[in-house]
Amino acid sequence: MPELDVALRELGRQVEFPPTPDLAVEIRARLQRVPAAPRRKWGRPLAIALAVLVVAVGAVLAVPPARTAILDWLGLRGVSIVRVDELPPTPPIGRLDLGSRVTLEEAPPWTLVPDEEPDSVWVDDGTVNLLWGTPDDVRLLLTEFRGEPFIEKLIEGGAEVEHVTVNGRAGVWLEQPHVVMFRDPRGRLRDNAARLAGKTLLWMHGDVTLRLEGDLSKAEALRIARSAQ
Amino acid sequence: MSRPREESELVERARRGDESAYEELVRAHQGIAFRTAYLVVGNAAEAEEAAQEGFVKAYRALGRFRPGSPFRPWLLQIVANEARNRRRSEGRRAALALRVATDQAPTRRRRIQGRAGFAGMADSQSSSGGAAPSPEGALLAGEEREQLLAAVNALREEERLVIACRYFLELSEEETAAVLDVRVGTVKSRTSRALDHLRESYA
Repeated sequence: MPELDVALRELGRQVEFPPTPDLAVEIRARLQRVPAAPRRKWGRPLAIALAVLVVAVGAVLAVPPARTAILDWLGLRGVSIVRVDELPPTPPIGRLDLGSRVTLEEAPPWTLVPDEEPDSVWVDDGTVNLLWGTPDDVRLLLTEFRGEPFIEKLIEGGAEVEHVTVNGRAGVWLEQPHVVMFRDPRGRLRDNAARLAGKTLLWMHGDVTLRLEGDLSKAEALRIARSAQ
Repeated sequence: MSRPREESELVERARRGDESAYEELVRAHQGIAFRTAYLVVGNAAEAEEAAQEGFVKAYRALGRFRPGSPFRPWLLQIVANEARNRRRSEGRRAALALRVATDQAPTRRRRIQGRAGFAGMADSQSSSGGAAPSPEGALLAGEEREQLLAAVNALREEERLVIACRYFLELSEEETAAVLDVRVGTVKSRTSRALDHLRESYA
């Protein structure tokens, strides 16, 4: 019997793999069919504003215990903050559903990356999740999306909402628990109660909305946010 | 082996939108890309789709490719990601049991096409009329071969994959790390653990 590694290498040459199909022709055809994707432009601002408003009301109504008074609208496009007397029940936070794991290179070209690169990158229907830590033990989560976004945070009555500035753009800092409702690019309303929903920084960069969540101070969050490019 | 200089030229041309340059890259790497996807996803049809999708995504991501760095590990990482996502969305574990190519049917030769230099090796074991047996062919008797492969198949999936990448696909440690999405150190430790387990079950 030869050395194990020699034996394995030899075995490898005899292991049966299915025949490699000829991929080149089909791939070339696909590249020609779809020219390097021009990104879809944003719809007209008015249409978006209306969509957000309509959806916001719908979303609140869709959450049964939300005896709501809409008290506060903030100036983030795609993001509204709704105060409610009582938060809807949230399922226990388990493993986050982050979508499909991709490499940083595969993430959409508009993805913003802070100076500390994430441990993993996930894409879910046009939403990009940058994760520090592991999906079971999340240290920081940065969610980014474009398209026709809508995020709503339901906050319990007394919660503080602090306005901040990130690279010259308006943002908000939230320290209290909240529930995140989210309209995905296909128009489905998603319940993201399983997000970390601890301390959160929300801001915009160009037409990308970013949400950084994790157990961190406002100063740390702002530093990370400002480094994202 | 690819010729690095020529390859980086092909990559550069493809980056500028030259589809025929990219087609050459596809032809050069489709074999290893397909087999890598096959190991991860566990069946040929899914592996073909994963490899194809991986190549298309890699083309679109060429703008982020660091010029001068090796193309293959970068490509294999994208293909393996694609394969993993498929397996996950199918909601099943890969039940891939590797087999030794047998020599009963002459058509089996084609099964190992693309493995330059080894096509037909299995045939040389028994049906060798005129073909000279490969020098390595003599190292493992048929029975030992089956035994060793059974031991590999019996490993935990993460150990089986690292063995398959390193010894069956003959990927480098760096490439294996890219495919398995772990650090090179993890590849080393996992490989040595897997070898220990193989020695135990196969000694």
